[in-house]
Amino acid sequence: MFKIILDKELREIIGTTKFAVTFGVCAVLILLAFYVGARNYQISVQEYDASVTENMRQMEGVTDWANIDHRIFLPPQPLAALVSGVSNDIGRTVNMDVRGELRPEGSRFAEDPIFAVFRFLDLEFIFAIVLSLFAILFGYDAINGEKERGTLSLSFANSVPRDKYILGKIIGSFLALIIPLMIPILIGCLMLPLLGVPMNADSWLRLAMVILTGTMYFAVFLTLSVFISTLTQRSSTSFLVLVVAWVFAVLIIPRSSVLAAGRMVDVPSVDEVDFEKGKYSAQLFDERMNAMQAWTQANYQSDHRLMMEGMQAFRSEQQALVDEKMGIFVEQLNQERDNKADLRTGVALSLARISPTASFSLAASDLAFTSMDLRASFVDAASAYQQEFADFMRSKNADFGGDVFVGHGAPVVVEEPDPIDTRELPLFAYEPPPASEAINESLPDLGLLFMFNAFFFAGAFVRFNRYDVR
Amino acid sequence: MLGVLIEKELKSILQSPKFVATFGVCSLLILLSVFIGINEYRASVAQYETATNWVDQQIAEATTFENLPTRVYRQPSPMQIFVSGVNYDIGRLSQISIEQDVKLEQSAYSDDPIFAVFRYIDFTFIVQVVLSLFAIVFTYDAINGERESGTLKLVLSNPIARGQYLLAKLVGSWLGLTIPLLIPILIGLLLVIAFGVPMTETDWLKLVTLIGVSVLYFTFFIALSLLVSALTRQSAVSFLFLLVVWITLVLIVPRGAVMAAGQLVEVPTVAEIESQKDRYRADAQGDLRATSNLRFQEMMAPAQGFGEAERRAFYTANIDLYTEETNRLRAEMEVVIEQNNRRVNENLRNAKAEQERLAFLLSRVSPASAFKLTAMNLGGTNTSMKNRYEDQMLAYRETYNSYIETRWQQEQEEQEQLLASQRAGGGRNVNVAGSGNQAIDTSDMPRFVASEESIVEVFLASILDFGLLTIFTLIAFAGAFFAFVRYDVR
Repeated sequence: MFKIILDKELREIIGTTKFAVTFGVCAVLILLAFYVGARNYQISVQEYDASVTENMRQMEGVTDWANIDHRIFLPPQPLAALVSGVSNDIGRTVNMDVRGELRPEGSRFAEDPIFAVFRFLDLEFIFAIVLSLFAILFGYDAINGEKERGTLSLSFANSVPRDKYILGKIIGSFLALIIPLMIPILIGCLMLPLLGVPMNADSWLRLAMVILTGTMYFAVFLTLSVFISTLTQRSSTSFLVLVVAWVFAVLIIPRSSVLAAGRMVDVPSVDEVDFEKGKYSAQLFDERMNAMQAWTQANYQSDHRLMMEGMQAFRSEQQALVDEKMGIFVEQLNQERDNKADLRTGVALSLARISPTASFSLAASDLAFTSMDLRASFVDAASAYQQEFADFMRSKNADFGGDVFVGHGAPVVVEEPDPIDTRELPLFAYEPPPASEAINESLPDLGLLFMFNAFFFAGAFVRFNRYDVR
Repeated sequence: MLGVLIEKELKSILQSPKFVATFGVCSLLILLSVFIGINEYRASVAQYETATNWVDQQIAEATTFENLPTRVYRQPSPMQIFVSGVNYDIGRLSQISIEQDVKLEQSAYSDDPIFAVFRYIDFTFIVQVVLSLFAIVFTYDAINGERESGTLKLVLSNPIARGQYLLAKLVGSWLGLTIPLLIPILIGLLLVIAFGVPMTETDWLKLVTLIGVSVLYFTFFIALSLLVSALTRQSAVSFLFLLVVWITLVLIVPRGAVMAAGQLVEVPTVAEIESQKDRYRADAQGDLRATSNLRFQEMMAPAQGFGEAERRAFYTANIDLYTEETNRLRAEMEVVIEQNNRRVNENLRNAKAEQERLAFLLSRVSPASAFKLTAMNLGGTNTSMKNRYEDQMLAYRETYNSYIETRWQQEQEEQEQLLASQRAGGGRNVNVAGSGNQAIDTSDMPRFVASEESIVEVFLASILDFGLLTIFTLIAFAGAFFAFVRYDVR
């Protein structure tokens, strides 16, 4: 009996023009998303390579390591093309310096605001917006549509158990819609390596999880539609209710909750923190200048060279002290701000998770590693590299680059030295965290989606048991 | 007859439960977007004021004019409440100094990526996405729904011209949907006044125009739904078709067009440009160092073989001339570097402008793009916002830099005099430059004031999109007319 119901459901859906049209549209969009994603990735890689090359090139011919301008870049992530997340909103360039804070600058959208106007068509967008509509379109009249057409009472004139019927309906619709969709998805996946996107086992695992999450998200809207269908007598009513629910879940709730949380939790602005740091830095500078002055007055001697040497030594000492103090202060301020910002993020995302769309988007961007963690990870990697860079510069006696020391005395005459060998510079290599970590991050959202499914499924089940089939 | 038909249309819309529900939702969303917009605006203003106060304070506490850098911020504008555009994507501030070029950095989204996760909700978004859907949900069965329920042949069995009937449908639907929506919009405007948002006359004019364009956009979707309804026999089919068209026009075409243009037109990355500029500067500075070293050697050549004291005396006698020349060379170098920066930036801008032209041309196939683009023009948050601000900041930088230079010269002269009197007084004080401990007088410092775009420019830019939307609407309605004239009403 169950098999028969399933069979009937499958045929009812797949044979129709409605299905042909909507499936056609979804298939085209999915393939488009994969194709454009792959091309975007290639362009990003070209840009990245160009930036790295130019960075090296502009250092050639420089004769003093102290005078170089070094920049490091965030390499593009393969899955970012499919799930853009916030990858286009965070800076991709960090100006590397021997000391001081590192801040990523130059996000894709900031540098090319044209892309910020309409943003990108990625797989996540298609799942979140188009597939959910697709689900509603097929599920809204699951029960009350049959009732209106008279086929519901017909079916129950036979000895059909209610629970099997509703189970068959839901599972049948789900299979009828999801299995065909797997075709363009698989074709898209095959396209990726063909179009030159380097996918390793890690990336494939992530992508598979994204697709799984998308499927669960689709199921949420399907079970919701069937549930609403069991709550209303007329299909036009359930459709209206579902469209309103869709508008809220997909478009309104995620945005509004983030903005509401933004105003509920007070986080000091980046400017305030910057100015505190600037003030302290200026204070330390003054202190150091005074110390230098005191030292030169106490240790003045006629042998200029000896005095310069002594001064350099003292200056290095002072600089190290300043670095330490500044480091501690910056650490403290940043920690304070980060704690508040994390609280804000927590509140915002918890509120947003009322909508299954938010859960899906968050899970997908965690898996593709285009969530806010990307920025933190980049900054951490940059800081680690800064140590390496600072050590290297120190070995070249270039760790005071840019610090102009003006004294009274003849300028030192130098012969033209040899240009630096840029190949000596340590390279910045960025490694994203492993897939297992990403999957762990996304588990809560997956769980939430599962719960939504269970809840709507149970709801439909219970309501249908008491549904008036006449 | 027309009046009766319009009245019938109005009644059937206003009295349906569908209307109450969807109108309720739309009003709620319009008010929500305005309320959120106002809150965000006030938060931006608070942040702006804090930041500029800090900058002023820093300058007030400065003790020397040497290389006194500053920052300028973009001031938030009330129109951003309604059209956020790229406001949160582009940088909020630029450093102003002699060495650095002007560049907008630290966008709101890059500082606080949490807001980038789901982005903003503004009035334009509600109109572009939600209201267009609303229009479709109401008008998709305007013709074929009546046919299905049998009322179409009933009405047309009376002596009514088909054109008249269709006109009544259009006017009735339009009145029944648009007029009620003006209520939450007016309440939204009242909210703006109530919260004390400082709107200038120009702002009000722009806002009213925005509302006008929104109405036109909404009308297009009514006309489109009528058209599709008159082309199909079953309302379920017209709805499906309209949904697909809606997804294509509102969600797909705009993004697709920009992405296509991005792939068709190549633009150098900012990183490449920055590195190019750095290299040029490094080369120029290297040259300057070499030249000044050479000069110094030439200058000191006659002093070869002198004793320590004589050498020092010779040095003191000639140092001023040397310093003067070095300064002159440095100034020349800065000019050349500046010219190169301008040139490089110009090239980048031209490439980007070309890409943008293509992108927006392609995207204007969709009325949703035309609407959004014109809304951004009116709100002042379009893609040229970045260039506009950077240009103004550049002009300010020139004024500021020349002011700093002049005052620095003055300060140096004063220090010279001080040094001379100290030396005359004896002692072996070694002075470290810039160690004055009094605050400098900055009361006559030039301030950055951003000027608004001229209203004429804004409206001229919007004419294209306004016209496009009108044409789209007229075509849709004409199509509906022709389709209905041949419609089988049985």
